[in-house]
Amino acid sequence: MAIADYKKYLAENVLNERRTVTYRSIGRALRVHSTLAKQMLYDFHQTENNKKPNSVNATYIITGVQKSPELTSAANGAQDSFYDNNGIPPSSPYVSSSMPNQDAVTDEIAISSVLLVREEDLEDAKSTFQSISSIHVYSLQPTVLQDLNVLTDVAAEMAASHAQEDPLEYGQSWGMIQGNNVRRRTGGRPPVPAAPPAPPKATIPAKRPIKSEEPTQSKVEPEEKAPKVEETTKREETPASTKPIEKTAPPKQKGSIFSSFAKAKPKQKKEESATPASGVESAEPNGAEDLVLGDASDGDEEPEELFPDSGKSAHIGTRESRKEREEKLRKMMEEEDEDEEMPDTEPSPEESKPIDEPPPKQAELKEEVTVRGGRRRGRRQVMKKKTVKDEEGYLVTVEEPSWESFSEDEPAPPPKKKPAVSAPKAKPAAKPGQGNIMSFFSKK
Amino acid sequence: MATSTAGSEFLRPPSNQDFDTVRREPSHYNPLDTFRLPSGQDRHYQQQYGDMYFLRLAKLKPAVEEIAVDAWEGFSIAGENARRVERVLDVRQGELCWVAGTIYMDMPLKPNILDDLTKENYTLAPPPRPTYQDPANPDSTQIMLEDESGRLRLTGSMLRNTQLCTGAIIAVLGTENSNGDFEVIDIKVPDLPQQPRRWESEGVDAPQKGPSKGKIAFVSGLGITGTSSDTLALELLTDYLLGYTGTASAEGAPPNASAITRLIIAGNSVGARMTVDANAETKKKSGPKKYGYDASAYNASPITRLDSFLAEILPSIPVTLMPGESDPANFSLPQQGIHRAMFPQARAYCAPPAAGAEKPEPGWFDSVTNPWEGDVEGWRLWGCSGQNVDDVLRYLNFANEEGNVGDGAGDVKARIRIMEAMLRWRCGVPTAPDTLWSYPFQTDDPFVMQACPHIFFAGNQPRFKTATIESDSPLKLNGADTEMTGTDEETTSGPRVRLISIPKFKETGELVLVDTETLEVEVVKFSTFAGQQEKQ
Repeated sequence: MAIADYKKYLAENVLNERRTVTYRSIGRALRVHSTLAKQMLYDFHQTENNKKPNSVNATYIITGVQKSPELTSAANGAQDSFYDNNGIPPSSPYVSSSMPNQDAVTDEIAISSVLLVREEDLEDAKSTFQSISSIHVYSLQPTVLQDLNVLTDVAAEMAASHAQEDPLEYGQSWGMIQGNNVRRRTGGRPPVPAAPPAPPKATIPAKRPIKSEEPTQSKVEPEEKAPKVEETTKREETPASTKPIEKTAPPKQKGSIFSSFAKAKPKQKKEESATPASGVESAEPNGAEDLVLGDASDGDEEPEELFPDSGKSAHIGTRESRKEREEKLRKMMEEEDEDEEMPDTEPSPEESKPIDEPPPKQAELKEEVTVRGGRRRGRRQVMKKKTVKDEEGYLVTVEEPSWESFSEDEPAPPPKKKPAVSAPKAKPAAKPGQGNIMSFFSKK
Repeated sequence: MATSTAGSEFLRPPSNQDFDTVRREPSHYNPLDTFRLPSGQDRHYQQQYGDMYFLRLAKLKPAVEEIAVDAWEGFSIAGENARRVERVLDVRQGELCWVAGTIYMDMPLKPNILDDLTKENYTLAPPPRPTYQDPANPDSTQIMLEDESGRLRLTGSMLRNTQLCTGAIIAVLGTENSNGDFEVIDIKVPDLPQQPRRWESEGVDAPQKGPSKGKIAFVSGLGITGTSSDTLALELLTDYLLGYTGTASAEGAPPNASAITRLIIAGNSVGARMTVDANAETKKKSGPKKYGYDASAYNASPITRLDSFLAEILPSIPVTLMPGESDPANFSLPQQGIHRAMFPQARAYCAPPAAGAEKPEPGWFDSVTNPWEGDVEGWRLWGCSGQNVDDVLRYLNFANEEGNVGDGAGDVKARIRIMEAMLRWRCGVPTAPDTLWSYPFQTDDPFVMQACPHIFFAGNQPRFKTATIESDSPLKLNGADTEMTGTDEETTSGPRVRLISIPKFKETGELVLVDTETLEVEVVKFSTFAGQQEKQ
């Protein structure tokens, strides 16, 4: 089993590659229970430092009850106020007859602490405790950690590299507390195990067969759901079946970039026929849809995620590569258009067209719009009454077309960019008065 | 002191022992849609706010009058009986009477839309002030009682000892003096509303399977910024909630995480404003304004980090997420839940989108409103992310206690008192819509509490603090007042409410646990030990 390998793993990572290993990262890597992982770290720390002192540095977690009185840190003030508060302060009795029995019964509160400590400070830290319930090794690293916050990066890295593993399936073997009634949505949007985290993919399929046997032995409810995900994936998503690994369909999979396209697809097709240039900015439809979604939370199918690339961006280097991939995805998707039906969003052509059309075009006959300094200015043709004195001295009123200038506060994309702008992008601009999506989040 | 055996479970070479699967206690959860706004087309912002005050008064006036009748009927001074007056305008000079109405406070530093308009000051939001009182001129604060007929200025020493704020419904006893001001002798508030019994909403045969040793966990102010300066405490919190920290049952250990049936996050999960540089940059560049997702102006990392935090704990523990002041939700109360599209990973645990009219089952991950009301483990919870308490505090003059308006201990006490006062006013957010932004409710004021909660919490407070209040003691006048013939009521088992002020996790690292049987409160604190390395 993996247990025998832990020394090798730790030697490789801590001693050779000089990385930080936490009990959780080794637990994930070797698929062992967290308690066992802690013991492994401890054992390695002992043996290595016996061989060569100070070759490995550790951090510890101490849990227990800290001594409160002499701690003067701000965080402990809460406790102080328990003791000195017996309800009514003498000077300003908020307790009035209008508020009978302000018997703010304050009772003693048990405060237990979970404290992360460096190896050197272990004894100091222990002395601040009234009673200690447990100590365990949190992480091992080759040298003293100057900044403990580095450990958050380790955790982030670990989460990223093990994103493929469904916590519902493996959680038990890690020693995670099992939620009995975990409900996870299965239908709707099956995560597609396609593109996102490329680096770990290579190793995972190799390990998977070994692993997938044990959790299935103990039938847990959440696990029974996992296969369901699989089925739906197979049934609904033909693209998924083309992929080599679509097994676990983990929730971590934020990707589903695919389905985002799948959803926008019918519309997009239409647009492409209407404005041929629209296909260029393939990354944009997501963003544009966000504007529409607002916080209306009741659509029958929720709109795409706001930040399709967030988090992923760590692994995926540049924007270009993403675009390439999206381009590929789109092509693939278009191939499937014929045989796949997406009933949920099917805007009828009558509906979609007027919206999709960029508004300036409609007004073009009568308007000239320029954008300067974020404002839209322009001239429009209006019929004006004009009164002139004719040669006989009579006043003559004629109506004639003339140009008048106007401006609007509404910012709009500069005109030269217009052809390049994809149709959905223009959509929000069509609604006058709707501001930038940013203003939605900002404090007013 | 530390025992040498402590932690021996972990500080030893690996063994071949088998590990039992630890299972979490199930959670009974029934959120209420009290604060859910109509969506889409049905949500209008054209209405007048006056309706809210009218509705509030209409709802609470009977309650406060009932109490006032009990207390003041037959009350007399020098042979003159206190008379009940229906409307504020009907108060006659020199006559001992009592009347009920809404408090309105006119304060020198309170933001005033009319002032802003006359000064042509069109800034979006007035800068937040620590207090609306003018410390140099405390008498410039005017307290008025109003109803649909008019306003009455209140005066008297009684007011100096009573803390009031705009929007509270009270009844006052007194007489109008020669200045036309109302000299207040006594004040009555609606007091705690009816409290449902535990499990009441679930029906009589609720899941009474003996004493389950459950806990409800509260946390607020995670303040995730998405940078590496995020505290490690969040990491430790994750480990604890997932049960990795260890299940030691030794004395002094933090409660076993498997007992925690639900985590409630009370606002301000996201620290940094995500769009903060968007405005600054467009001003600088004055370039073309782009619509949609602009990676240069939008910093998604805080919400991404929050998402992965949620996705990490959700497989094990159900989460109720309330938005707060700094979260990506609407700013005016009631804030609607953070949209699940913000959580590409965690939303898999959401309830499926509502199909048709029937109410969907609440999701394992529930993004709810702020304020929020719901039943957890049979108990009724009412909580807010803290805006209500912060704002009422600005009305009240607690500065004289410590000499400064700050986060001193007096402030913490004041906050708990404000929470209690809110319950007794039966109004969770009294200062909306005056100084807290609010949706203009037209037919119903949901901030009025219909039922007394068992747990009343406010997030993002500077310190942790808790208290229990009851309303079972007899109502009586105190002070040097005279006879009274009030009768006591419901002396047997009045409502009992657990008040909790939840500290900001980012600053204190504290997680608050409430026992589901006894409503006892515990705190687990996550921190790192600043050792020699950092002291240098």
